[in-house]
Order: sequence, then C-alpha cells, then structure tokens
Amino acid sequence: MNEGIAGKLAKQFINSKITPLLMVAALLVGIMATFMTPREEEPQIVVPMVDLFIPFPGAPPAEIEARVAKPIERTLTEIPGVDYVYSTSMPDVALVTVRYKVGEDAEKSMVKLWSTLMKNMDKMPQGVQFPLMKKVSIDDVPVLNLTFWSKSRDPYEIRKAAVAVADELKKIKNIGDVEIKGGLKRQIKIVLDKQKLLKYNVSPLQITRQVQMANSQMTSGDFKQMNQEIVVRTGKFLESAADVGNIVVGISGASPVYLRDVASVVDGPEEVNNYNFFGWAAAAPKGSVSGEYPAVTLTVAKRKGGDASLLAEKVIARVAGLRQTVVPSDITVTETRNYGATASEKVMTLLEHLLMAVVAVTIVVGFFLGWRGSLVVLASVPITFALTLLIYYLLDYSLNRVTLFALIFVTGIVVDDSIIIAENIHRHFAMKRQPKLQAAITAINEVGNPTILATFTVIAAVLPMVFVSGLMGPYMSPMPIGASLAMIFSLLVALIATPWLSFRLLKTESGHTEEYDVTKTGYYKVFNTLLSPFIESPFKRWLAFGVVGLMLAGAIALVPLKAVQMKMLPFDNKNEFQVILDMPEGTSLEQTARVAKEVAAYLKTIPEVSSYQYYVGTNAPINFNGLVRHYYLRQKANMADIQVNLVHKGDRQAQSHDIAKRVRPGVQQIALRYHGNAKIVEIPPGPPVMSTLVAEIYGPSQSEQIALASQVKQVFKETPGVVDVDWVVEADQKVYNLVVNKEQAAFRGVSAEQIAQTLRLSLAGMDVGLIHTGNDLDPVTIQVRLPQSDRTSLHDLTGIFVQSQGMGSLTTRLRAGEMIPLSELVKVEEKIQEKSIFHKDLRRVVYVTADVAGATESPVYAMLDMDKKIQKIKLPAGYSINPLYTAAPTSEDKMAMKWDGEWQITFEVFRDLGTAFAVVLVIIYLLIIGWFQSFKTPLIMMIAIPLSLVGIIPGHWLHGAFFTATSMIGMIALAGIMVRNSVLLIDFIQIRRAEGVALKQAVIESAAVRTRPIILTSGAVVIGSIVMLFDPIFQGLAISLIWGGILSTILTLVVVPIVYYMAEKKSDKPSMTNVS
Amino acid sequence: MKTGIRKSVWLLTIALTLLFGGCGHNELKPVTSGKPELPAAVEHIVPVRSGGGAAGEAEFLLVPKSAIVRRGELTGILVVGADDRLSLRWIRTGRLMQSDVVVLGGLDKGEFIVGTYDPALHEGVTVKKSPRVTEEDHSK
Repeated sequence: MNEGIAGKLAKQFINSKITPLLMVAALLVGIMATFMTPREEEPQIVVPMVDLFIPFPGAPPAEIEARVAKPIERTLTEIPGVDYVYSTSMPDVALVTVRYKVGEDAEKSMVKLWSTLMKNMDKMPQGVQFPLMKKVSIDDVPVLNLTFWSKSRDPYEIRKAAVAVADELKKIKNIGDVEIKGGLKRQIKIVLDKQKLLKYNVSPLQITRQVQMANSQMTSGDFKQMNQEIVVRTGKFLESAADVGNIVVGISGASPVYLRDVASVVDGPEEVNNYNFFGWAAAAPKGSVSGEYPAVTLTVAKRKGGDASLLAEKVIARVAGLRQTVVPSDITVTETRNYGATASEKVMTLLEHLLMAVVAVTIVVGFFLGWRGSLVVLASVPITFALTLLIYYLLDYSLNRVTLFALIFVTGIVVDDSIIIAENIHRHFAMKRQPKLQAAITAINEVGNPTILATFTVIAAVLPMVFVSGLMGPYMSPMPIGASLAMIFSLLVALIATPWLSFRLLKTESGHTEEYDVTKTGYYKVFNTLLSPFIESPFKRWLAFGVVGLMLAGAIALVPLKAVQMKMLPFDNKNEFQVILDMPEGTSLEQTARVAKEVAAYLKTIPEVSSYQYYVGTNAPINFNGLVRHYYLRQKANMADIQVNLVHKGDRQAQSHDIAKRVRPGVQQIALRYHGNAKIVEIPPGPPVMSTLVAEIYGPSQSEQIALASQVKQVFKETPGVVDVDWVVEADQKVYNLVVNKEQAAFRGVSAEQIAQTLRLSLAGMDVGLIHTGNDLDPVTIQVRLPQSDRTSLHDLTGIFVQSQGMGSLTTRLRAGEMIPLSELVKVEEKIQEKSIFHKDLRRVVYVTADVAGATESPVYAMLDMDKKIQKIKLPAGYSINPLYTAAPTSEDKMAMKWDGEWQITFEVFRDLGTAFAVVLVIIYLLIIGWFQSFKTPLIMMIAIPLSLVGIIPGHWLHGAFFTATSMIGMIALAGIMVRNSVLLIDFIQIRRAEGVALKQAVIESAAVRTRPIILTSGAVVIGSIVMLFDPIFQGLAISLIWGGILSTILTLVVVPIVYYMAEKKSDKPSMTNVS
Repeated sequence: MKTGIRKSVWLLTIALTLLFGGCGHNELKPVTSGKPELPAAVEHIVPVRSGGGAAGEAEFLLVPKSAIVRRGELTGILVVGADDRLSLRWIRTGRLMQSDVVVLGGLDKGEFIVGTYDPALHEGVTVKKSPRVTEEDHSK
C-alpha cells in the first residue's frame, strides 16, 4: 500500500515534539477567542432599511401619492441593490421605506439614497418639505430596558430621574443610543384665556410673535478701549416662567398688556400625551407590591460590534451606583429587558450542551474502544472547537444564537474523523501484525484518504447553504461557514493530534497472541448470517429492496397526509411577548389606556406572567421584530403596546408560545368589547416579517381593493387556526373641515393662513422657543395653546377669534384690530378622514394580515385551506381571483391577490435549500467519481441519502414536531455523513478485492470491519444531537440527525453492500476465474 | 344614615327631571349610600351622566368635581367595575360646569364611579353597589 497524504502527515507528527505544543496553543487561543468574541442575542444582520418621511402639509393622501410618493419611489427603484420600496401616503405626509438587499453596505446605501433623492428634490411640488431620513438597523434595538416606577411620584418626576440617569449612562464607553419612553417633559405652557384676549384685543398670533422676539440674545461684536477688547452682547434669553409672563404683548389704552394678563404661564409638566404603567403580575417575585404604577422606561442600545452582556453589566452597575445620588429613594428601578443576560445565558447553555454532547460521545466511544480510546477522542474535540471559535472571532462574528447553533450542529460531526482514525489504530493494535508505530501508520494510511474524502463530502453538503438568499441568508451563513471550518480543523486534528495521542494512550493488549482474523469476530458472524441470504437469493434481495422502498414511500406519504407539517421555524421559548392593541382610528388616548389597562389586568392573572408594562401614546421599546414591522411608529392615541414579561423559562412548565396561545382569546375578547383589535406578538425565531400571513391585494382602484380585502378578511376570520386578523385600512375617523369663506375673510381683513395658523396654535399648540435654564437635561419648550377645556367641541373652535389686519391686508378698508370670531369666516364640513394609500414596488396594495396558532401552526396549510374559499369570492367584474404565490401580478387592471409574509421567506429558504441540496448531490457525485474513478460506484453510495428520509419523516411524526428549515439542514448534513459511511464501506471492499478476496467475502468482511467505526460515528452524531431535542428551534435538526442517522445507518449497512454486490457481480465473474 | 337615604331620594327626583329636560345644568348626583357591612363604605357611588345633546349641541359626559383623582398631571376617576371592584381610570377633563367636570375621554355614559374621592380608597377594593340603584328605582 502506498502512503497517502494522511500517512505522510501522521508520520511527521506522530513522534514530533511540536504536536503537543500545537495542541496546547490551539486550546489557549480558543479560550481567548471565546472570551473576546462579543456576545449578543440576535445575529448582526445588515438589512439596510431606510425610512423617508416626506411632509407635505395639508395634502390629502391621493395627492401625496401622486405628487410625492410615486415620483420618489420611481427614482429609488433605479438605485442598484434596492430590493423593495414600500410607501404609505397618509394625510400630510408620505412614508417611503427602502429596503436594500440583505448584506448591502449600509453606509454606501445611505449615500446612494441621499444622492438619488437630492437629484430629484427639484421635481417635488411646492409645499413639500425637506425629507427626514432615518436608517433603521439592528443596533437600534435596545439590549437593556430599565423601568423607573414609583408609588408616590408622578410621570413628570419619574422622567426627571430617568433623564438624569440617562445623562450619566451616556458616559459609559461603547454605549449606544439611550432613550426614554413615557413620562412628561417640563414645559412652559402659555395657556391662553379667550375672554381676556378679547378684552385686551390681543390675538394669539401676536403673542407668538412677541414671545419669539423677546427670546433673543446675541453677541453684537466688540470695541476697543485702552488696549482692551470689550465684547458687547445684546438681549437676554427667557429663563423662567416669570420672564415669559412679563413679556409685553400689546397695548390697551395707555398701559401695556403683559402676557400674564391674557394668559396663565405655567411651568410644569406638559399636557398628558402618553400613559406608561408598570405592574407586577401573578408570578412576581415575593414581596412585590400589587397594583400598577406610573413608569418611565430607559432603553439602552449597544454600538455595532459591542458585547451586549458586558454593556448590560456595566449599565446595571452604574445605575446601582446612581441609586443613592440621582434616583430618589421612592423610585424603583426594575430591569424589564436584559438581552445581555439572555445572550450570556445562551452562550452558557451552548457550552453546557457541548460538554454534555462531548461527554456522551466519549462514553459511547469508551464502550467500544476502552477508556483510553475515549480519552483520545475527548482530547480532540476541544481543540477543534477552540480553532473554530478563533475563526469566528477573526471573521468578526459575534457569539449569538445563530453562530452557537452552528457549533451545536457540528458537535456530533467533528468527532467523527478522530473516531475513525482512533478506531482503526485501535483495531490495528489489536491485530498485532506489525510493531506499534508501523501499525499506527498503516492504520492511518488505510482510513486516512477515505477520511479526507469523507470530510470533503460533508463540507460539500453543508457549504452550499451559504447561498441561501434573502433575509434568511445571514441567519444561515454562519452555519455552513462554521461547520465547514470545524470539519477542516477536525480533519487536521484527526491527522495530527489523534495519531500522536493514540500512539501514546492506546495500549496493545498483551495476553492473546493469536493472529487476528476478521471472520472470527462477532460482527462478521452477524453480517454473514444477515447478508448471505440476500446475496445468494435474488428473490430475497428484491424482496428486501421492495420492503425498503415501501418504507420510504410510507415515510414520504406522511407529508401529504399532514401527519408531519412543514413550517419554516417553530417558536422559541422566550421570556416575553407583546400585546399590540389597535383601537379604531379616532379613539381617544384615555379610552385606549383604559382598554390597555383592562387587558393588562387580565394578563396579570396568568400564572406565568411576572410583570407587565403598558405603553399608550408611545411605543414600547422595540425588538428585532418591531424593527421590521415599524412598531416604533406606534405613537398614535389609538395604539397601545403591552410588554409582558414571563418568569424565566427554567421556572415554568409551559413554553412561551403555549402561554401566548392560551391568553389570546381572553385578550381579544376584552379588546373586541371596545371594538379594538389585539394581537399577541411573539418574537419570531427567524427573520421577522410584516405578519405570518399576509394577503396583498392588488387592483385597479382603492375602493375595489378595500372591498375585496374585506371579503378576504372575512375568509381569514372564518378559517380555524387563523388568528389576529387585521388589515391596514383605517377605521372611519370624523374630520371637521373648516372651509374659509374667502370673500368674507378678505373683506374683514383676515387671511386664510392666519386662520389656519390660529387654529393650529389653539388646538395642537405651537412651540415658540426654548427657555434657557442651563441646568435642564431635556430642552424646555415654551408652548402657546388654548386650555384643554376651551378646545373640546366644534362650538369652541368656531368661537376662536382672529384679529383683522385691516388695511394692512390690502383687501379691506376697515380698521385693523377688530376681533372676529371664526364662526363668521368659516363653514364647517363634516367628513371622513381619507384612507392612507399603500404601495409596494410602485403598485397600490392593501394588506390583510393574520397569524396562525392552534388548529394549524404552519401558514402554508392555512393558505391552502383559504385558497379554495378565496377562489369562490365573486367579484363585481364577474371573474374570480386565484391567489398568487411567488410573484406579484403583472398588471393592475384586474384584481389580484398574492400571499406574502412568512410564506415568502419559507418559499425562498426551501427553494434555496432545495437548490443547495441538488448542488450538494452533484458535488458529492463528482467528488466520489474523482476518488473511485467510476460512474457507477458513487450512485451506489448515494443510495444512502434517500434512505435517511425513512428515519427523518416518521421521526418528526413520532415527536409531533414540524419539519422545519433546521430539519432540512439536518437532512442535508446527513446526506454528507451517510455518503461518508458508504465511502468507508466501499473503500474497504475495494481494498480487499484488490488483495484478491472474492466479492461476496469482501462485501461481508467490509460490513463487519466497518460497522464499528460507522456505528461509532453515527452514534456520535445521534448522541451529540440528543441535547438539542429539548430546544424548540433545534428540535427539527436533532430529530433529523437522530432518526435519520439511526435508520439510514442500519439501512446503509445492509442495503449498500447488497447493491454493490449486485452491481459488481457481473464484473466480478472474470476476476474470480482469473484468481482461481 | 336614614336621613341620607331620604335625602338621596329627594335629590334624585330633581336630577331626573333635569335630565329629562336634556339640560346639563344644576344636576345633582344620584346617591347610593354605603351599608355598614360593606367591605368598603363608600359614601356615594354615582353614574356618569351626560349633558348637552340639545339643539345643535354635542352630547358630553359629566362627573362631579369631587370625584377627580389627581396624580401630578394625570387625572383619574375611581370606577366601580362590573365585579364591584374599584379601578382607577385615567380621564381627560374639559370645562367645569358648576360642581361638575366635562369628561372628554376614558369614561362611558352610565358607568358607576366614586362620587367623592377619598385617598383611603384604592384600586382593587370591593365596594357594594348592589342592588344597583338605578334612577328608575328611585323615581318611584
């Protein structure tokens, strides 16, 4: 036998002093890398997404759509790298969202967007204001939320404390954005008194002008005197409410009118614009108070590339230090989110899993090879992982749930190479045909080259997953990269470290000296009795094939029978979920708060809920899901978010998804009582989407789209298992349109702008400047507004006065100064607020959204179910629609519907994984052709691949699990592992045949000799995967590897030798005669 | 106690006539007196009334000024729920009308509230309002 690369390498290192040094060095850098790699919860996924807010005050949605949204969308789609362009044309503003392809460089994308936008700003109509550009990135998601709450303080005071803490926290290195949610800011309120204004003949607009003019200070320059430069500064900024009150705003008779004469100036909290409350629930820690308390949330985000757990620890320590100084003792600070801790926990769980897997594998190996053999394997694993972690660190990966997944995934595979080598050395030592060193090198030579080939088949199996596109791509890519690298390292370890270790640790047992004979081993006897009947009788052979074929068909049949359902990713067991409450548009803040409170009161009683916090009028701190769903825009009065924190998953039986399912009916019932819509939002395990189920409705006109959408919505509602049904169409909201009577206004010396300004000032208030206090951390604005009690009805509005500008307006000869009530100038029209217009890639669209839970957990089945009902919908135009699956309709002339949401990603992932799998098969085929120089042999080896399905699908059925993307990954990886087993088998057959052994004998011998390493390696995969079985996300992978591994190993050991025998039978005959 | 009940009946009669008149002024509160065996003796529990609604004027809700709970800038009312438990409801208030305040948001017409806020009362306290005293009962 000539020496291969493996043998040469082993020879170099087996007695080298450098080998142990290399091993120790690898371990050390690995340990360092583990501590230096930043830890975080979510992977760093770069999905450059930019929100553009383009204000066009006064314009209705239709005009915004035509004049602003559409032209901008058109230009934006020209930018290379743009994946989708969405827009929402609302009254007064257009929101255009640009989503770049995953992985596009964020900065470059911003520059491209900026230049394209600037190039086209001249085409915008008059009145369009400068766009606000906001880049949305994963680092905007806060990693730590601290809730400040108090029994005795009000939101204004709590916010003050939170702002002070935020100011201190900003000094921490590597801290990202620190934001404050809820609470009330300090404000100087100029509350106008209508009666007094009338009495002193002062108009509100006059006040704003006077305040703005009074609030000025500037450096005027300098002059020289006596060799000195003296700086001159003029004016004085307003510094207090008293300053503001003392501004002279008009004249009455001969005396000045001060602002305090016509308005009350109040220094204090702004008007209530949000409700943010915190409360402990049923599973609160012992001794917590009941009831709910005003709260303010401080959110801390991290900088790109930072370590979430480190940052969280630092912040918490800093806040604890501030407790004595900045935070009053009656304000409690509670941690309501700590992704740093969860990230650390994930890392710890992984390490625990790894350890368990390694120990389990070691025990199995020990069972076959003795404790010395197991020690060899045990030593090689940490080295492999250490090197892989080093590569992760060097490639700027962070330790997150995806990279960890990759490591767990390869645990069972990386020990294989070492096992094969150690086992063969062990076998050769036991055979005692050669001296120890020679035996070791022969052993390595024998299996070395097939091991190299086998390693590359496994790499070939996992590597094509890099090409999964879309949002799922970055989720997947650490896996093939990590796994491939780990495989290469494990191969190197197996060829360098394992021989060194085996040579020293494995003992040639003394005692029995007889010549080793394979035919005397138990394995041989088993395979002889097992395989001989099939080899000898063609009938039995075909019978066996038939049985295996039937098993395969039966297993596959479980899929269409829905015994095994497909789903992209199952829900993870998280410690939180959210309730998203949408009241009909036009619901008051207090009404929304009331419903939120009632929902919260219900959630409070759920035994697993530890605390809750509801946010009305301001959005709850977002998570990755909320980022993609634009939950940070949820700041309207009719929206509320309830953050529900559960007890730690270790302390409860139920999974978070089951709890979410359980509370859904109760929550929705409460919301429905007030005509609201409540959704239970869980953190999706994979890439977030707008909603699990999304129906995009296209059509020629908005009214037709809405009509069809409402029918589709009805179908959604009637389908069991479809929950949280909603759509984007706003409820009818009453609008009073005050139409200015132009002639009358002109005659009285009042301009339309004056009326509009006065009304805006009266209702929404107008910020007229800042007071310059110097020691407030938040800017303190001065706001002019009517008191709440004077702006509650139409009657109040039309009773507002405007001042005639008299001849100054050039439209009248009347004298200026007359106060005219609006009722004389405007006509009131009652209308319904126009609906927002949505675009996706330039097409008008209406979305109907829903989630699935309960009767069906997989959107695909719900979609197929609803398809039939949707096809039955009769459209006024006389045709019916056929829901589309993969691409938007080509024309908008006809009504059409397309499924989107999780389906889109599922489709992309399974399409890409399917393609990857096909590529894998081709690459494996090519690799083996290259090795065996035969077109036929590779096909025989690849028979093992479909056989894994016999185990995988029924395995899922047994566990009642979904066939998920991770199951698919398991299946692909298994293809590599199974081919490797076949390679080892057939390689040995060929070696034996080359030595002149008869075909049948060679086949049985090979099965007997190779069973042990095959069972050992497959056993390692199976046992290494068992720890994953209890993790909701990795369950699919574990089932695939365990059941697929067991079944296909057994079948491979029987089927592959038989098929090989059949295939080689004809070519064997002549060689037999030659030999004999 | 007895005088309290008699007084309340008397007041209610007036209140009803005024209510039927559709005029929101000078309304008096229908009063239910707390009984001694109640878990919490609440002096009076009143329904949220509506005012306005007359020619061209929009309807609005009224609560007694004494019922308002203030927590800094937040304004609330203790509401008696269907389960007879008190809960604090945040409301938005508008104009004052004599001893009443117009409520702009957060309450429904006919809900029962604690007419006079007592700092001793807090959320979760059970009060007894049954047999629910409706205006019709008292008008007899």
